[in-house]
Amino acid sequence: MGSLIAQVVSVTLMNLGSLRRRLWMSLAMVFASAVVVAILLAFLAMAKGFEATMSGAGSSQIAILMREGSSTELNSVILQDQVNLIAESAGVTRDANGPLVSPELYVIVDGIKKSTGTEANIPLRGLNKIGMAMRSNMHLVEGRMFTPGTNEMIVGEGVLREFDGFDIGKEVRFGKNLWTVVGAFSTGGNIFESELWADVKIIQSHYNRGSSYQSIRLQLENNGDLKPIEETVQREPRLNLEVQTEQEYFASQGKQLQYIATFGWIISAVMALGALAGALNTMYTSVADRAREIATLRALGFSNFSAFCGTIIEAMVLAATGGLLGSLAAYLFFDGLNTSTLGGSFTQVVFSFEMSPDLFVQGAVLALVIGFISGFFPAWRAARMPVVVAFRHAT
Amino acid sequence: MSDFYLIYKNMTRKPLRLFLTCFAIFIAFLIFGAVTSLKSALNSSVELSADNRLVVFNRINFTQTLPIAYVQKVAAVDGVKNVTHLNWFGGYYQEPSRQVVSMAVDPESYLKVYEEIVVPEDQKQAWFNNRQGALVGEKLAEIYAWKIGDRIPLSSNIFTHNDGGYTWELVVSGIFKGDTEQYDTRQLLLHYKYFMETQTFGNDWIGWMALTTDDPAINETVAKTIDDNFANSQSETDTSTEKAFNKAFIEQIGNIGLIIFSVVFTAFFTILVVVGNTMALTIRERTGEIAVLKTLGFSSTRIFRMVLSESLLIAFVGGLSGLAAAWLLVEGVKTFLARFLPNLILGGDIALQAILFMLLLGLITGLMPAFQALRLNIVTAFNRQQ
Repeated sequence: MGSLIAQVVSVTLMNLGSLRRRLWMSLAMVFASAVVVAILLAFLAMAKGFEATMSGAGSSQIAILMREGSSTELNSVILQDQVNLIAESAGVTRDANGPLVSPELYVIVDGIKKSTGTEANIPLRGLNKIGMAMRSNMHLVEGRMFTPGTNEMIVGEGVLREFDGFDIGKEVRFGKNLWTVVGAFSTGGNIFESELWADVKIIQSHYNRGSSYQSIRLQLENNGDLKPIEETVQREPRLNLEVQTEQEYFASQGKQLQYIATFGWIISAVMALGALAGALNTMYTSVADRAREIATLRALGFSNFSAFCGTIIEAMVLAATGGLLGSLAAYLFFDGLNTSTLGGSFTQVVFSFEMSPDLFVQGAVLALVIGFISGFFPAWRAARMPVVVAFRHAT
Repeated sequence: MSDFYLIYKNMTRKPLRLFLTCFAIFIAFLIFGAVTSLKSALNSSVELSADNRLVVFNRINFTQTLPIAYVQKVAAVDGVKNVTHLNWFGGYYQEPSRQVVSMAVDPESYLKVYEEIVVPEDQKQAWFNNRQGALVGEKLAEIYAWKIGDRIPLSSNIFTHNDGGYTWELVVSGIFKGDTEQYDTRQLLLHYKYFMETQTFGNDWIGWMALTTDDPAINETVAKTIDDNFANSQSETDTSTEKAFNKAFIEQIGNIGLIIFSVVFTAFFTILVVVGNTMALTIRERTGEIAVLKTLGFSSTRIFRMVLSESLLIAFVGGLSGLAAAWLLVEGVKTFLARFLPNLILGGDIALQAILFMLLLGLITGLMPAFQALRLNIVTAFNRQQ
């Protein structure tokens, strides 16, 4: 047994030591594996970053109500008396000042994207103090809160990062109305950071919304328990509303970029097949080149098994090196890359690519699989070929 | 013994290697074809827009409304040929997930501005005369099996009917086609007046306007005149060509698209490099044989031709089959993805591009070994073998 391991080790070392002689072949193998891993990681990092931005926003403590069938805040319309009815419902948390209910408006305005210099949609959310308090992870990073009843607004860090002209103290014109940016806020990297916030009453009057709103957020008495609210909605015919927790809402909104992850997996899988063919080819050629050497070893008394292991380990080392390079390249190019895209409500969602440790693991697994498969068959052939045949053919 | 027979024998001496090489090339071109089609489908709405059509939106954003009085004012501007107005209806059929691209329009002026729409005269008149009438695109009618005369309930995910519900009763008065295959007929048009009188969101507002100018050359002047007209009014406007608007809308999807495509194309080229490396090595291995051929009296140019044809042949066998597979794939998912990407086609220009890359692959991998073979000195070659 000990001698077998010694054999495997010496054959492996010999193979690795002679890699330089097959420089181009080996590089091709490393290259192939690096590319597949890098592509997979790029797609996964994008999907991961988007998901983190969406799901981080939703709390199961908060319910969001919209007009039924409207599917996004942008489409929904809610009237003042509906807000009043909901505020009286059971299941809503109350404090000294009354129920924690926040009727909100969601208007789209144009901003200039830094990356392209073109106009893109940004949501301008109108909300009140209660609504602000409901986003428990929201804090000002700069400046101050807007004063209710004035044309002041605060901007999310994501907007600040991706769009021009929203720096603190700047005046911003939307149509006829001039707004002043007085503060910047963070909500821990989630989707609310892609928004502008201002006083809901001011937005109602500037955008001719009368006393209507678009969504109601409320703090639930019991975490995740929508029952009492749903009962109120069912009992009262004036309430044609759909109730869901904020978590559910954002999870469904996040789904639409799920296709990027799926697309990424399909492309990487197909690419991996192509690269695998390339890698297999390389290994076959490389083993065929050495048929005489391998035969010599076996003639000297090395076992078939050690010849097999030596080849397969060589392939896996090359593929793993490629995987490492690919991960590194993906990390350097993509980790933390800020970008924005069109989200569910027709507005820009600002997010960053996120390269988490579990992605590296997936990349490493893929690289090793490529290495194993591309090493296995040539190694099998090399180990099985009768020594005499190998000598005869190797000329 | 013809040259072709020799090439064929050379190619197939190691069938496994030949298969693997072709397979890798196949995959590379499969992805190239599919992804390039996807990319051009995303850009197609830009190419299809008419040159002399402008759109007028609220300056704040295209989701904000405009007063209807603006239509008459725009019609009076010099150089405006026809003008019409549109309201986004946010329609869906039966289920909120079955969305229908639907707009409330002024029928007569709409058909003047959107000349691509082809509809039989009698159906056109029927639509004009029936306030509940809807003009439905051919493909949309196909999806839901709607026929002329059908009564269809169309719901809105934005507006409320004054009877308290969200559903409007419409009658299919006509079915329209586009004047080109690419024109997206997955849409429904209903009467603006019927919509205005039955919804509860206040009266006499429009979503946006579309107009045609007398000549594309005056587009900019017309746009400027319109915007200047409404400067400092309650609703300022933003006029641009339809092309520019569509382009800006696609750009909102952002550099994500760019990132994806550049990643995929990098991968495409890398596979080609890896494969090309093997192909070139394969030929270099045969230095000895080439020397034998030369000794037998094969001329250098003949060998040059043979080596080059071999790598070109491999590149085209793998590449063309990959392209064919991409075409099959695109045709296969076309109907499935039709809702999101109506113009998914693997067109001639994409195929041409792919063929160019195959040619390049074959030439680059073949030329170097071919030149070496051309200049090969028989004596050195035999010496090297030992």
